[in-house]
Amino acid sequence: MNAERDPRRGQVRLPAFAESAAAEWQAPEAVGPAPAGQSGKARRAGIRRVRRMSNWTAAALIVGSAATTVALAQHAVSVGAPAAAASSSSAGVVTTAGTQGANGPRVSHSVATTSASGVTTTTTSQVVNGKTVVSQVRHAPAYHDN
Amino acid sequence: MLPPTTTTDVMTAVPAPGAASPWRRISTGDDTVAVAERAALGTTARLAVWPPESLGAALGAIDSVLSALDRQASRFREDSEIAWIHRTGGGRFMLSNGLAQAVSVALEAARWTGGLADPTVGDALISLGYDRDFAAIDPERSGPAGAPVPAPGWQTVRLDGPILSLPAGVRLDLGATAKGLGSDRAVRAVMNAAGHAGGVLVSLGGDIAVAGQSPHDGWPILVADRPDDPASSLTQNVRLAGGAVATSSITCRQWRRAGRVLHHIVDPRTGLPADGPLQTVSVAAATCADANAAATAAVVAGERAEQWLAVAGQPARLVARDGQVRYVGGWPDADGGRVNVSPASYVYRGARPGVLR
Repeated sequence: MNAERDPRRGQVRLPAFAESAAAEWQAPEAVGPAPAGQSGKARRAGIRRVRRMSNWTAAALIVGSAATTVALAQHAVSVGAPAAAASSSSAGVVTTAGTQGANGPRVSHSVATTSASGVTTTTTSQVVNGKTVVSQVRHAPAYHDN
Repeated sequence: MLPPTTTTDVMTAVPAPGAASPWRRISTGDDTVAVAERAALGTTARLAVWPPESLGAALGAIDSVLSALDRQASRFREDSEIAWIHRTGGGRFMLSNGLAQAVSVALEAARWTGGLADPTVGDALISLGYDRDFAAIDPERSGPAGAPVPAPGWQTVRLDGPILSLPAGVRLDLGATAKGLGSDRAVRAVMNAAGHAGGVLVSLGGDIAVAGQSPHDGWPILVADRPDDPASSLTQNVRLAGGAVATSSITCRQWRRAGRVLHHIVDPRTGLPADGPLQTVSVAAATCADANAAATAAVVAGERAEQWLAVAGQPARLVARDGQVRYVGGWPDADGGRVNVSPASYVYRGARPGVLR
């Protein structure tokens, strides 16, 4: 009956990990001379294992936090300006407009022109030596659909 | 820097299934992107894509989009869906998904611009002489234009899902948004075809949308007053990493009636060509349909354009008839500057500009 109410029932104590292990972890150097005997050695080995694991865990957390911080900072830079520009309006529907190509190619020449609407071309095609060859002539006088 | 676009007129065609004219490869001086161009929708379609190996899939995707949009919304094709609706003389219609989206975008653009970009200007344009594909218009016909026909107003048109209610005598012209819509659809279709790898730019008559990952520092784009005058002092190079840029101008698509020069940007309030102080307006926005509508509305708005664009938060470049250039809403005033767009779209009303066939 009492055993069923024991809150520690089912808990398993780590081997060679004494009740005072927490205090020794916080101030391991302050611990006095190790007790002689097998139990003392096992206890010290257990503490060293736990310390190693904790150190690796802490290092992993630090590296992970740093990577997350860098990623968030880069994202904030890329979307900061549009978000600020949108703050004056509330009626619009937010869309995803594309991303800046930090890893995209370097393109130095204009690839398109935005101007008065459009260019109409006359296209003719003929087969020369088995290949389709296309000729296009632009029309751009003042009173045509350039 | 002016684009060193090749002057080569004869090139081997890239296959374009079902397309009216073939694509031709364009050399811009960078081999890290593939560029191709063809005539489409009464203007020129241009595609730039990276990696260059994506070009084949990209051309197939954009051809499907252009063909579908032409069948849905061209008022110059007898067999288009919108031409069939106009022939019936008004009523209620169940639209295809594609035309429903096109009409919805046009109506939202009208709402956003306070009716300055109004799709009910169809009869106004016809009365002025823009009654067929522009290439077929006699530019010097001696007869006068018809009497001006003010637009009935976009509020007379109702769209409830795919159900369109169009009053008799109202003719739609989706020109203020259709090319932008086409570019928006095209870039998404290309990204889908490319497995969302790399990046793409699509230009329909100078209305440009980009998607995916842009080149380093953004896509380099030339902003020009006229497409045939890249050496003009009114040009500027900008970089666009996301969104879209579109230009509306009264310097092209002009014709003459009885000695009077007319153009295609109609003031819906009067039914006459806009005659404000602006000749060209370029707008950058989240989507090309937004940019297209805003640029057209700005030309019509004239003196009020600058304030409206600033309030709307749209970066813009305005060229006055006297050649003065003004920059609004963060549009860079330096050559080579980057244009940052607002992420908000006003004309899609929550519906992402997906690929509708």
